[in-house]
Amino acid sequence: MDWTLLGQQLANGVVNGMNYVLISTGLTLVFGVLRVINFAHGEFYMLGAFLTYFAMSALGIGYLPAVLLATVAVGALGILVNRLFFWPLRKEHEFTVLLSSLGLALLVTHGAELGFGHDPKYLNSPFTDDILEVGTIVLTQQRVLIFAAAVLVLAATYAAIRWTTFGRMMRATAQNPEGAALTGVDIRFVHTITFVLACGLAGLAGALVGPVAMIFPTVGSWAVLKGFIVVILGGLGSVPGALVGGLTLGVVEALAGGYVSLGFMEAIGYAIIILVLLWRPQGLFGSVAR
Amino acid sequence: MFRTTLLASGMALALLAAGPAVAQDKPPVKIAAIVPQSGAGAFDGQLALEGMQAEAALVNAAGGILGGRKIELVVYDDKGTPEEGVSAARRAMEQDKVDMIVGGWFSAVALSMKEVTRDKIISVMTSSQHPDVTAKGHKFLFRLNATSNMMSSKYGQEICARIKPKSVAFITINDDFGRLEVDNYTKLLGACNVEIKGNEFYNRNDTDFTVALTKLKSLNPDAIYVSAINTSQGATIYRQARQAGFRGTLIASAGNMNPKLIELAGPALEGVYSISLYAPDSDNAKLKAWTEQYGKTFKNQPAFIGTLGAQAVQVLAAAADKAGTANDPDKIAAALRSQTWPTLLGEIKFEENGQALQNLYLIRVEGGKIVSIK
Repeated sequence: MDWTLLGQQLANGVVNGMNYVLISTGLTLVFGVLRVINFAHGEFYMLGAFLTYFAMSALGIGYLPAVLLATVAVGALGILVNRLFFWPLRKEHEFTVLLSSLGLALLVTHGAELGFGHDPKYLNSPFTDDILEVGTIVLTQQRVLIFAAAVLVLAATYAAIRWTTFGRMMRATAQNPEGAALTGVDIRFVHTITFVLACGLAGLAGALVGPVAMIFPTVGSWAVLKGFIVVILGGLGSVPGALVGGLTLGVVEALAGGYVSLGFMEAIGYAIIILVLLWRPQGLFGSVAR
Repeated sequence: MFRTTLLASGMALALLAAGPAVAQDKPPVKIAAIVPQSGAGAFDGQLALEGMQAEAALVNAAGGILGGRKIELVVYDDKGTPEEGVSAARRAMEQDKVDMIVGGWFSAVALSMKEVTRDKIISVMTSSQHPDVTAKGHKFLFRLNATSNMMSSKYGQEICARIKPKSVAFITINDDFGRLEVDNYTKLLGACNVEIKGNEFYNRNDTDFTVALTKLKSLNPDAIYVSAINTSQGATIYRQARQAGFRGTLIASAGNMNPKLIELAGPALEGVYSISLYAPDSDNAKLKAWTEQYGKTFKNQPAFIGTLGAQAVQVLAAAADKAGTANDPDKIAAALRSQTWPTLLGEIKFEENGQALQNLYLIRVEGGKIVSIK
């Protein structure tokens, strides 16, 4: 047994897992609070990456300010998306909403192909190529940054839902929208803020994970796929579920890819979906928001 | 007053109509350019089309072909898919009555498109590498790119003789092409005593290769052979190989080195080898003229796929001139097979089945530029 290799693969898995956590938190939030399955979630991830890229190249600002700017901008886009798509559709059947979100995803992807061009781009972060050696384990600074940012953001989101007035409003809306409205909760405000939060998280994920690979307009479909595997594993609507689900997927992929076969890695996600849906359809954590 | 205005505008119209008519007293030679303009291959398609356009501009500026006929490119989008490629070829032949077709950038498209054009029209297939494109081609079909087998046998020799790694590990795509690559190079490199340390397959949609590269690095090979057609996946692999701490030699699969890859992969691509039909630093006069024309019109860096498009226009123009016709496929095919053609990629000769025999150069990235190793 090569312990260095095992340690390295575990580290790879945990970091990749944190990427997944960052992507899926917004997805699970939107479902947990608003009962909306948002297929366009990955597109906000893509927009986060591209806005960071353009903020750096057009405005000439550094990587970290560009990440902040892109996160805020994509979050603000959440207001628009909620106002134009999801708020007017809130009383429609779930399938209508789901299909509309799919339409939105296609619209944004193709719009991005027209606007940003088809060619892949490299989001240049100063941390990508700098290696950090912890004992025998090699990680880039960018990956450490992703991990740290994910931990921070996730803790903040969880705390906000648990302990703030707005968090209580969100949970009330999740449990019973009409009841919440009757007791004076501004449902529309909750909808808006939930989307802002979800889109902002997706945008942040794109801005942080973008430099690890290349970015291109269809990159969102990859992100939303991983996101769905994680939320089904962890339980739709559960933030701790997204954490455990994301880390599990990352580590299982790394170990299976590292010790069985890499060609098998992609299949594992799908196998997990099938197994979970068969034996524990509510996911590992059910839904704490309910 | 009204009458004079009418008369004047009528005369102006007549002049306008007559203007181009005088310049084009001879009808243009129509060449269909069937390229991917949307979907995953859109960027490659753009580079290919730009290459063709630059060459057509050169031919036309020099007076055209067949005693003054200009080349007109009729552009179709094959979306990188066989269905759209077939439909584009049909429209080109039946509606637009083009004289010749250039297409087949992807093997899947070339393989189905050749059935529609079979024995009907001169079809030049460009960058596709699948052996069956010419092995099961037709009497009017020609293919410019070397097949994957032709490339790997040459590249195998070069790796053994000039790169000389003691051991090698592969990272290849999990499809027909990737499997063929591993089989070929395991044999070719095994024959000159390069130790094969292992292979990892990745999938078409993967964006993170750290796990695979960690595994390969732990095998401690002298060199890692990276087989990636997709530019964005390739760039990610080279970057992540360096990020994972691999310091050995990186070898890029044949025909997959281009300026965009260098732009995306940055310093990670420095010193990486590949093999290509296109050596940008060659002193071929035709290549220089084309590169200059390309730079005048387009923003992109000229790429291998663009030179193939240009080469297609070049040989078709020359063969049509020699045959004395633009739309008699029998005569043009006979002309194409009859001699060695000087082109921007050097001399090229077609085998009986339409497969081109081209020069292959060992190339390497040095100082962010592709240079040929002499």
